[in-house]
Amino acid sequence: MAKRTHTTLSRDEINSLFLNYRDNRDSEIKNVLVGAYMDLVHSLARRFANRGEPLDDLVQVASMGLLKAIDRFDPERNVQFTTYAVPTIIGELRRYFRDRSSAIRVPRGLRERSHMLNTAIQKFSQENGRSPNVSEIASVLGIREEDVIECLESNEATMIASLDTTSEGGDLSLLDMMGGEDKTLKLLDERLSLAGAMSNLDSREQNLLYLRFIEGLSQTEIADRLNISQMHVSRLLRRSLQSLRQNLTTSSREPYTS
Amino acid sequence: MINDTVCITVPPHQRMLKVVRLATTAAASQSGLNLDQADDVNTALDELFRLSLSESGSKRTFCLHYNICADRLEVLVEDIHASIGDKTSKVGRYRRFIIDKVVDRFEERSNTKGGFDILLVKFMSD
Repeated sequence: MAKRTHTTLSRDEINSLFLNYRDNRDSEIKNVLVGAYMDLVHSLARRFANRGEPLDDLVQVASMGLLKAIDRFDPERNVQFTTYAVPTIIGELRRYFRDRSSAIRVPRGLRERSHMLNTAIQKFSQENGRSPNVSEIASVLGIREEDVIECLESNEATMIASLDTTSEGGDLSLLDMMGGEDKTLKLLDERLSLAGAMSNLDSREQNLLYLRFIEGLSQTEIADRLNISQMHVSRLLRRSLQSLRQNLTTSSREPYTS
Repeated sequence: MINDTVCITVPPHQRMLKVVRLATTAAASQSGLNLDQADDVNTALDELFRLSLSESGSKRTFCLHYNICADRLEVLVEDIHASIGDKTSKVGRYRRFIIDKVVDRFEERSNTKGGFDILLVKFMSD
């Protein structure tokens, strides 16, 4: 019996479908092929999931790559479809990041250093239970302190923080991990007496502010809890504070009643 | 005991907030603060910079004195035109709450020019 390439179709069946699709361009056959490779799409999308873009968007982009691969694949070349499809899908994902994910273009060398920096900060924090200072990171990476500071700030500029981002290595978004409506949020609102400004925030933004400002967790502790980097927590907190500030500025035009 | 002082004057433009952050991270590093603590000081200064922009109509420069000490970083923000805010204002309560949470000490003093000087202190953790 032919080896099965996935749970529902054998390799021979797949080959037959590709031959049929090449000759007839039948959309129903294409749909079957798409369904057969959706696991591959999800798997490749997940590889890019810790770069600040929502996983759903990445799956969509990867699906576009799969459609292109199916259209262009020649089953008579005696090459497995996945050999052809994987680079096509990854290329599509990379193009998406090149075009969309960077708010400000920074030199490649700086981007690479930023990636190293993120990894080093996470490793140091896990090993020592606190975030490092600049000289410690410089020492670990063997670079100058000025370069560390430059990297830290370039990271701020190039990454758009999103609460929809998935945690590293997981399918759950930060939104899911932080939970939904919580009575403790009322405590934050009461503690600040912000008369409803909190209620206009996304419930997960409220939770993040709660962890930092009521529970008093450090950014590193929040990062551990959510399985993301300290720098990501920093960006998310800043975004949440910005939302709160905007709500307050808008609502402060109304007369205050205590 | 203050070991070194660094002073910077920043033009009143939103885009200059990055300059404040760079200088603060560098000064915090000299004081031995870790990244969490440096970011806390940046959060407080972010609030004060925005306050300065909103209240001065974007005409006044933002003057910072970083006192780099062996066990702490002190930042004196000089002559902001408006107070951080009082308890009768929602924005004032918010600003006080956030700054109070992220630094170990802050003081606001009115100065002779009719403005306010604000001192932020962040200690190195053990």
